[in-house]
Amino acid sequence: MSRTLLVRLSSLLILLAGAWVAYTQAPPQGKDGKQAKQANNMISKVADDLYAIIGDGGNSTVYVTNEGVILVDDKFEYDGQDIVDKVKSVTNQPIKYVLNTHLHGDHTGSNERFLPTAEIIATKNARDNMVKNKAPGVMRVVFTDETDIFLGGKEVRMKYYGRGHTNGDAVVYFPALRILASGDIGANNGPNVDYANGGSMKEWGATLDGVLKLDFDTVIPGHGPVSKRQYLIDYRDIATKIPATVTSMVREGKGKDDIAKVFTTNGGLWANPNVVNKLDQIMAELKN
Amino acid sequence: MSRTLVVRLSATFIALGCAWIAYTQAPPQQGKQQAKQASNKLNKVTDDLYEIEGDGGNVAVYITNEGVIVVDDKFEYDFNDIMAKIKSVTAQPVKYVLNTHHHGDHTGSNAQFPPATEIISTANARKNMIDGKQPGAPRVVFTDETDVFLGGKQVQMRYFGRGHTNGDAMVYFPALKVLHTGDLMAGTSPLIDYSGGGSLKEWPATLDAAMKLDVETVIPGHGPIAKKADILTYRNNVEKLRTEVTGMIRQNKSRDEIAKVVQDKYGWAPTGLQFQRGFDGMLAELKR
Repeated sequence: MSRTLLVRLSSLLILLAGAWVAYTQAPPQGKDGKQAKQANNMISKVADDLYAIIGDGGNSTVYVTNEGVILVDDKFEYDGQDIVDKVKSVTNQPIKYVLNTHLHGDHTGSNERFLPTAEIIATKNARDNMVKNKAPGVMRVVFTDETDIFLGGKEVRMKYYGRGHTNGDAVVYFPALRILASGDIGANNGPNVDYANGGSMKEWGATLDGVLKLDFDTVIPGHGPVSKRQYLIDYRDIATKIPATVTSMVREGKGKDDIAKVFTTNGGLWANPNVVNKLDQIMAELKN
Repeated sequence: MSRTLVVRLSATFIALGCAWIAYTQAPPQQGKQQAKQASNKLNKVTDDLYEIEGDGGNVAVYITNEGVIVVDDKFEYDFNDIMAKIKSVTAQPVKYVLNTHHHGDHTGSNAQFPPATEIISTANARKNMIDGKQPGAPRVVFTDETDVFLGGKQVQMRYFGRGHTNGDAMVYFPALKVLHTGDLMAGTSPLIDYSGGGSLKEWPATLDAAMKLDVETVIPGHGPIAKKADILTYRNNVEKLRTEVTGMIRQNKSRDEIAKVVQDKYGWAPTGLQFQRGFDGMLAELKR
């Protein structure tokens, strides 16, 4: 094989690899959800009448009542039918409510499918962001502070505690079961601030302080496995420590590269490529 | 006729008379199936917005090309008339019913709407309905603000604080600058429902918050359509009652003396709901 051919082949491979990375890492929002993808999800029982659907996109939570099903988040558009099938495997009740924890397309992708037959509810900011981003499946009903759904003698509480992942993250609380669906202010890939949609690293910890006032034992995070309360306590500690660390290092005169090193070495939620990737924006936010 | 028979017959008549008075004077909140005839009139307020006045509280009807949003639904016996009045101006179905508070002259038809109609109120209004064993409790509640977006139109429902009850919402139509105040503005002098969490002390501040909205036209809970300036007049009258009664309490005036003043100056007849529901509660609240 000539050297030229080798170089050409290598560049081709690098190019293909780059395209593959770009493809798989593309943000799931909006029209990107319309890929002819196969749904790949599992439903598992978390407690009486409460199930988690985990696999593609954000985690969905299914709460079964004798007057219908309350669903939290609905993944990508191509997951819609699979969500319906998974719900059907545990109940004959129809999906009456879909609660969106935030705007992103990996949590709201099947909204359009459910909109004619279910009430979809989100925070006012989440809806504003969807409208701004021309996302499909915009809901009819929004709230600012708290909304509660009473269905079949059961209660679900949806609350907004402040900025974090975006400016419109809601958590969904099941008081009778002491379970919380946290959305992405508790996603297991570590704090990832969407600045374009009003997120804040500075306020994230205080937002989780508010969430932790709720009395729950179990957390269904926005992404990742079903966890215990301690998971969200640790999460809060890290979300609080990240901005504090960045601020104090900036004060010590440390540059971006030195700060980035801190978030690539420690491991766990702390070793967070999201923080490294968004360090410019985080540093800009913390300057104010 | 023997004397015994006369006594017995008289006693029967008195008992029947008392029963009749008790029946006709019973507060409408019980949701009783009265064989009453509805008597209402439909008025156009502005483009696509109508008001139904007559029995019970004033109803607002907002027409969109995806369905109708209704504010309050009078007594149970008004349901058919409300639906007929709506049909006279649009073929669209009623999709949302927004209750300004729990009283049966504003929520009386709730139970007759089909499950596909979403009924929304504040969390406290729903709690009051459950405590009072009223039919047709809403499935969706909020604490601070909820917005309904339908057919490209927006309706905003806000809780500004205590007043008539502890769960009064106002309904704002931003595009039309119209506000339905519920019973936070109704008649000329306030009815403070202390058993429903009402407060004379907080009522003026609640109206102050509401007046920050950009409003031109007001649909009060009861009475004719009004202007924004009328909210201020009403608010000042509420404040005057509070100040005057507080002053009399400080001067150690007797209950009867105070009762006479509120009757003469504010029209609180001893047999009326304002006196029966609000008087002793008002004295207790203002003594604190």
